[in-house]
Amino acid sequence: MKQAEAPPNAKWSGPSHAGVKAPDPILLPDPVQRFAGTADRLEALAEGHPLEPWLRFLANVSSAQHAVANTLGPGTTLDPASVATAVEARLPPLAADGHRRHPSWREGLTRLLDLIDATGLPEPAVEAIGDLRASDAAAIERLADQFLRGELAAANAAAAVYVTAALQVYFTVSAARLDAASLRLLEERALCPCCGSPSVSGVVMAVGSNPGTRFLHCSMCSTAWNHVRAVCLNCNGTRKLSVQGIEGDAEVVKAETCGECDTYSKLLYQLRDTRLDPFADDLASLGLDLMVAEAGYSRHAPNPLLLLGDGDDDLE
Amino acid sequence: MAMTRREFIKFTGLGLTASSLGLLGFGAAGVAQAAAVRPFKLTHATETRNTCTYCSVACGILIYSMGDRAKNAVSNIIHIEGDPDHPVNRGTLCPKGSALLDIVHAPTRLKAPRYREPGSAEFKEVSWDFALDRIARLIKDDRDKHFQTTNANGTTVNRWTSVGMLAASASSSETAFLTWKVARSLGMVVFDNQARV
Repeated sequence: MKQAEAPPNAKWSGPSHAGVKAPDPILLPDPVQRFAGTADRLEALAEGHPLEPWLRFLANVSSAQHAVANTLGPGTTLDPASVATAVEARLPPLAADGHRRHPSWREGLTRLLDLIDATGLPEPAVEAIGDLRASDAAAIERLADQFLRGELAAANAAAAVYVTAALQVYFTVSAARLDAASLRLLEERALCPCCGSPSVSGVVMAVGSNPGTRFLHCSMCSTAWNHVRAVCLNCNGTRKLSVQGIEGDAEVVKAETCGECDTYSKLLYQLRDTRLDPFADDLASLGLDLMVAEAGYSRHAPNPLLLLGDGDDDLE
Repeated sequence: MAMTRREFIKFTGLGLTASSLGLLGFGAAGVAQAAAVRPFKLTHATETRNTCTYCSVACGILIYSMGDRAKNAVSNIIHIEGDPDHPVNRGTLCPKGSALLDIVHAPTRLKAPRYREPGSAEFKEVSWDFALDRIARLIKDDRDKHFQTTNANGTTVNRWTSVGMLAASASSSETAFLTWKVARSLGMVVFDNQARV
């Protein structure tokens, strides 16, 4: 280009409002990507991992979830008026523990159980599939209610993993049918604006229009929503926050601990690995959970695929 | 024993046996994971939200430091980045702001009052007591000498024009209030805030 000459067109050609915009408050899930991404990432992380058999099993479940979400697509379509009413009242329109589930989710469960490759699975995992196949609709609905309302008995925990997987497909497909512009963040910012569930992890973005912002990912409907960084998800405290990680690891997954309420949530740094998946990386970083728990912190909420009995009398 | 998806949980190696993982038959993997992390240590970085010291734009920053202040350890700032949630800068920083970490650790950074005697070519470090006494003495002498209670027409003015003060922008409202009260109660009229120092 020749120097010292007027540019060919002396008009501003950039965006009319330059600068960095506020991040989107809510990103609805994409059922085409969601479960396939988790399955791929779990397979990639499983190689040589101490939890390899379990991670491969979860990848197997995620692949089945992907197939169910993209063929049957069980879900409910909320009418815009009921969404508006719920949003007006600052309630989640797709409340996981409140709304009447469309019966198609049970068809989804049946398909899911058929699609899971049972070869090489441990006995209890296969048995749980058999138990669910033998259960009638009422028993399965009861199990789903118990899981969603937090009253699950340990005896049903294995079967509940498959029920959870089917419910994740159902809520993800349903959330994807909503209009993000009609939704609003809840006053309780740590809960999902679609279904009111807690998050599995928070991703600190590196790509997109707002690098550095944190998006929490819903444990049930996979919706991502923006949450201010350096604020405790449990008590909103900011004074005693600490970022803890395993010395010498890849620094992708960290625990944000709060010294005021002694809880933590996971932070995943996309800058360190752009292939990370909020669901898979959370499950594969169980080692960090163990270490942070030993240091005296409780996790704000579990990953629903890894529920734990309460109290220390687990083995009694 | 009820299992819940909504409340706090605390993972332990033993607890995993009674978790979804153990009950599905992957207990051995849980044991392997608990053993795998045993030789490792956790790293800590304290996370604090703050405001850039430089100018009146007041960009938000996040500061990460090593060392737990609660245990009397010396904390050491290791990383500073723009606060992505701050409405003013949304994670961005200007070149001066981006260099904040180097300013924090600069060997030439002023950490104690320094004094150059009249006629001397060098600054030497002095105590705060010495510095404050010296400033107070000079201010008092100058004010006693130049304070004007009335102007040429005999109107009361109570002003002191021979000394001025320039305050900087990295002040809280409380600091600004106190600065104003100190300067104005002495009768100082040459007084301003330089926002972009």
